[in-house]
Amino acid sequence: MENQPSRNKTKRYFDTAPEKDEKTQNKNENVKVYTVKSTAKLLKIQKYKEQNLNRRKKAFINNNKIKKNFPNKAPIDPKKLELHSRGEGFTGQGVLHPLHLLKLKKREKKFKYAQEQAARADILLTEGQGYLEVDEDNRTTSINQKVIADNVDITAATKIFELNLDFGPYNAKYSRNGRHLLLGGKKGHLAAFDWVTKKLHFEINVMESIHDMSWLHVETMVAAAQKEWLYIYDNTGTEIHCVKKLDKILKMEFLPYHFLLATVNEYGFMSWLDISIGEIVGHYNNNMGRTSVMTQNPYNATVCLGNPKGVVSMWSPSSKKPLAKILCHKTPLTAVAVDNRGMYMATSGVDRSLKIWDIRNLDGPLQHYKLRSAPVHLEFSQKEMLAVALGNNVEVYSDCCITTTEKPYLRHRMAKEISNFKFCPFEDVLGIGTTGGFTSIIVPGSGEPNFDALESNPFQNKKQRKEAEVKALLEKIPAELITLNPFEVMEVDVPSMQDRMEARNSLLYLKPRNIDFTPKHKKKGKTNIARKKIIKDAARKKFINQSIEAKKILKQPEEDKNSKPKQSFGVLDRFVSKPKVKK
Amino acid sequence: MDPEDYEYVAEEHDRLISAISKLDKTQHITEPTRNEPTNLNSEFNLIKPSKKLKLDNVLKVLEDNSHNVKISKKLKFSQNKSKVLPKPLEKPQAERIKRAAGYEETKKKIGRWDPVIARNRTVDFVSFPLKTRPVKKDTPTNIFLSKLKLKSPLELELEEVDPTPVVEPEVEEEELYPMSYEEMVEHRQHLAKFRAQQSYRAAKAKRQSKIKSKKYHRILKKEKLKQQLKEFEELQATNPEEALKKLEELEKARALERHTLRHKNTGKWAKNKLVRAKYDKEVRQQLAEQLSVSRGLTQKTQNIESSDDEPDESENICDIQISQDPMNPWMLKKSDKSNIDAEFNFGYKKYLKDKMYKRKEQSDSEEDEVDQNKDDDMSSLKTLTESLKKLNENESTAVIESKTQEDDTLMDSISEEKKSLTVQNKKNTQKEKSNNTRRKNKRKIVSTSEWVVEEINPKNATTEEELNSAFDDYEDKVALKVAKKLKGLKHELKNLETVSNKPNKKKNESSKEVDNLEYLKLKKQKQMPIIDEPLIESNKNVDEIPEPTKPLLETLKDTVPSTTENVNTDIDPNRFIEVKPKYLNTAVTNSENNYDDLDDEEQVVPKVDIEEVFEEDDVVTSFRQEKEDEINKNNPEELSLTLPGWGGWAGKGIKAPKRKKNRFITKKPPKTLRRDENKGDVIINESKNPKLAIHKVSDLPHPFNSVKEYEESIRTPLGNTFVPETAHRKLIKPNVITRSGTIIEPMDEEELLVPRNRNFNNKSVIKILGKQ
Repeated sequence: MENQPSRNKTKRYFDTAPEKDEKTQNKNENVKVYTVKSTAKLLKIQKYKEQNLNRRKKAFINNNKIKKNFPNKAPIDPKKLELHSRGEGFTGQGVLHPLHLLKLKKREKKFKYAQEQAARADILLTEGQGYLEVDEDNRTTSINQKVIADNVDITAATKIFELNLDFGPYNAKYSRNGRHLLLGGKKGHLAAFDWVTKKLHFEINVMESIHDMSWLHVETMVAAAQKEWLYIYDNTGTEIHCVKKLDKILKMEFLPYHFLLATVNEYGFMSWLDISIGEIVGHYNNNMGRTSVMTQNPYNATVCLGNPKGVVSMWSPSSKKPLAKILCHKTPLTAVAVDNRGMYMATSGVDRSLKIWDIRNLDGPLQHYKLRSAPVHLEFSQKEMLAVALGNNVEVYSDCCITTTEKPYLRHRMAKEISNFKFCPFEDVLGIGTTGGFTSIIVPGSGEPNFDALESNPFQNKKQRKEAEVKALLEKIPAELITLNPFEVMEVDVPSMQDRMEARNSLLYLKPRNIDFTPKHKKKGKTNIARKKIIKDAARKKFINQSIEAKKILKQPEEDKNSKPKQSFGVLDRFVSKPKVKK
Repeated sequence: MDPEDYEYVAEEHDRLISAISKLDKTQHITEPTRNEPTNLNSEFNLIKPSKKLKLDNVLKVLEDNSHNVKISKKLKFSQNKSKVLPKPLEKPQAERIKRAAGYEETKKKIGRWDPVIARNRTVDFVSFPLKTRPVKKDTPTNIFLSKLKLKSPLELELEEVDPTPVVEPEVEEEELYPMSYEEMVEHRQHLAKFRAQQSYRAAKAKRQSKIKSKKYHRILKKEKLKQQLKEFEELQATNPEEALKKLEELEKARALERHTLRHKNTGKWAKNKLVRAKYDKEVRQQLAEQLSVSRGLTQKTQNIESSDDEPDESENICDIQISQDPMNPWMLKKSDKSNIDAEFNFGYKKYLKDKMYKRKEQSDSEEDEVDQNKDDDMSSLKTLTESLKKLNENESTAVIESKTQEDDTLMDSISEEKKSLTVQNKKNTQKEKSNNTRRKNKRKIVSTSEWVVEEINPKNATTEEELNSAFDDYEDKVALKVAKKLKGLKHELKNLETVSNKPNKKKNESSKEVDNLEYLKLKKQKQMPIIDEPLIESNKNVDEIPEPTKPLLETLKDTVPSTTENVNTDIDPNRFIEVKPKYLNTAVTNSENNYDDLDDEEQVVPKVDIEEVFEEDDVVTSFRQEKEDEINKNNPEELSLTLPGWGGWAGKGIKAPKRKKNRFITKKPPKTLRRDENKGDVIINESKNPKLAIHKVSDLPHPFNSVKEYEESIRTPLGNTFVPETAHRKLIKPNVITRSGTIIEPMDEEELLVPRNRNFNNKSVIKILGKQ
């Protein structure tokens, strides 16, 4: 047991005392030693407090001896500062007017201040990420939900639950603040409830097959793709809209900042419905065939479609051709998932392989895993854990994108087939929709521990919700801005400007403007291309060396042959060309 | 004194004066005086009186009172001292001056406000009313607040645990001025002087570097050398070790210079040789060798294949010209017949011609020559002129022998010679022999160098007399040379014989001669491969580098495939970036419970399964095809606008020359790099999104001249959802803040005295605002 006995914690009712652990040890004989850090935030806070106390004591001791170096404000870690950097900054090279130059420099100081403040505000993110901790000779996979439930506080333990429902394979989706859960059964069962308090909002049977459903911008509105059309219900289960423009929908995704409901239907038609004005902003056929593998990239709000040819294509409402296409697998795709930051994409194919791609640079694969069976569903958590559905098993990989992982972080086996699952935002919970209902399990460390209440607040009340709705509507992003690079709007349209300048400069009696067209640097440091180049060079060198060696080997027998006398022609031998005698 | 007396004296005095004045012969016109007021002016009194007031006259009035004397003295003094006031200016001028002065005055007056205005324009915000009572800030807020309320026991406890650190007042260090004002001025002057000198020197150096005169440079170099030698001598006395080093350096520089063979024909050695070259063949060969070595060193490497830009001579010739109507005058080529003859001169024909040639040489009949038709004469004339020209050009070298041939076979013989040489080329073993025979036959040698080493037939020299009188001048010269040459040749022959007598020496000689031959052969062929070889970045080892003794053709043959091999080394990098799959030990589903025992330690060996077998390879190829199409779709192709027959002949079998074709081909724009260029199986749509373009900025606003700077200046969003609240407040603060309910009074002169205004000294801003 290493529960840090040296620390004298204040004992809480949910804390796991060593004696208690011993009991559990006796109970589960196959699992000998383990320690489970509960994810309760309070526990973390306490730990933090303790550390602070220690530090203060130390500081107190030191205070008497050493005078303070920084009497005013603590310096900021340059690494942290770099995290909040938005660019190199304004240098004043391109501005000639001294007054404007001065003003812009003052403005630049304010930007720097903003960056500093953001870096300083990082200390307000007090909550730490939880995790499972085991002895060296044990695995985290050996800890099952029961063990976790036994070791966490009772409020956390209530997050492990199971619902047995009868209406076919279920899909589950959490609302954006992670408070509400929407369940949709294939056989028409639609239910929404506050899964923390288990308070039911509504439960209806639409008497049609439900293919997919989604929360809209608030938890009072729900969209469900039924047999024919798309329906929208409110939080009492009343049908408020039937959108007949969207028929036979297979999959849908809600883009919260654009207020768009992106859908794909059986015939390969993609459509984006702006739910704030009720208009369809994009509607066209993708010519990729029927597919039900769809996800959104939260970084740039593009929609990723996987198709039977193994190609993942990215779509925006404004262009009828895909923004990008990647050939991921040689076999049909089974699942696609993109992580929250838009950095990584996980794809899986029928060939039982799982690949991780660098989707921001459209590069990869970074990792290539082979599994024992083809994954049915993939999902990234907020903290970049990847959940993989393998038949009736769920496996969660904690660090599989950058490094090649060896084994899963957590494994959960169920009696039913999995149809889909979602990580609950701001909670360490994975909700699994199965053929026989819904299961909620705890995955320690999967959720984001610090939430921004202005962004999405799990403890939102009615008034706050209304206010947030208005604000969100005010800050709605137009659908045209959906591109691969979300910061493209901030860039100057250089080609058209060049044309314009050329036209202007060709005019007589007009002073031509000298403009430096080089755009802002996008990134510093080694790019992926540079890395690739290094690899390429190394490979080339190796190849060349090999070829030289091979040539040497090939040459030797030739020389041997040369030395031998060849076929004799008698008198005519003199006409046979002789090998050159080297001097 | 009674009044009578007084009167008398006066009368006397008057008389005296008149008498004296009579002495003066000049006539004086007395000024008219007016005694009583009248309306009439006598016409005689119209003399213009001088306007000047004579003080004396005024003073006359005053009698000699003591008091008056004083006054008069004073007046006189003032009269001496003061000057006459100038005439006042014309009105417009005066007004102009007044205005100018006023302008200056007001400018100065208003100029005092410049820093105030400039500061107010540049600060983040101006809050009105400007006059604010300065808040006293002697106590920090926490101390001030701490006075207001009692501390809770917890606070007291905390205080005990962690006392608030005492903020030490920062002692502002006084800036040290290491230099006094005078020193500073001096320093600056010094610096300025230094800079000026530097610039003069730079300008001088630039000017000098532009001088193209060879003479100047030669002199300069010599001077430098002398200087160095001087230094060296000085060093020798003081520091012998350094001197040795210096000497080495000098030697090295000299060696390098010699090594570059820049002085191939200017050195003492070369000059000597030049003199001797007229008579000595060996010397000539040595010189030729030297020259060719230098050429080899200085030659630029060139592509063996001719580039497109070069006019391709061979292309101009129609391929089927011969098969076409031979009588067509247009189709007949102007090229000289000899050239064609040379082309078809091989085999038995060559043999026959040789024979004929020999026979003709033996029978030196002049009648034959006379009988020869004019054409032949002309051709021979041509050759003569050419050779003479050469002679003129190379007078300094003066080794060229002009020679005429009555027969048109002359050219043939030359080409023949070439042929035979190339044949010899291949026969490595028999070089010596052929060399000898050649010499005996007295044929021409066409060397690679400018030096044309040739032997002549003495009998043919006499034929010159038949030629045009225009070349009479050269005749004697040539004859003389020929004679000399003959002498030399004879000498050479003798030498050769002696050489052949000495078998041990022979080998060396022969090898040398072989080398010479190498240079002398193949006039136009550049000895590329030997020189070029080390420059080829071949990854093969030493085996690939041809040995210098190899004949040219062989080396050429060798190098050509080697280059192709180099091309082959370009490899598909895609092959190497493949990530190796990692086999994971995942859970097993119920449906396929083949592995019952999950042994975590073992790496799972995958079974070949149906999915992998049916992996569609054409998925990859079709995707790549799609990418190719996408790339090609955006790439415009070259457009050929050639009209066959435009500016040349068109028809079956006639190819337009490449250069002409190239002129009409519109070049496609240079290929721009796609984003998915090296990314493997990724297609990125690069077409512009017109809907997004509406939202993008397509013109730089006023103060910006660089896209980068503009983008940097708008990089940070202002909203409070993106930046911290404090920063957000700062960023959106209005420029002008007015306090409500207060009167905003105009600035008065006190504002000038506010230190923040006085301290504002951004000169450029003040200047630009002062202009407006």
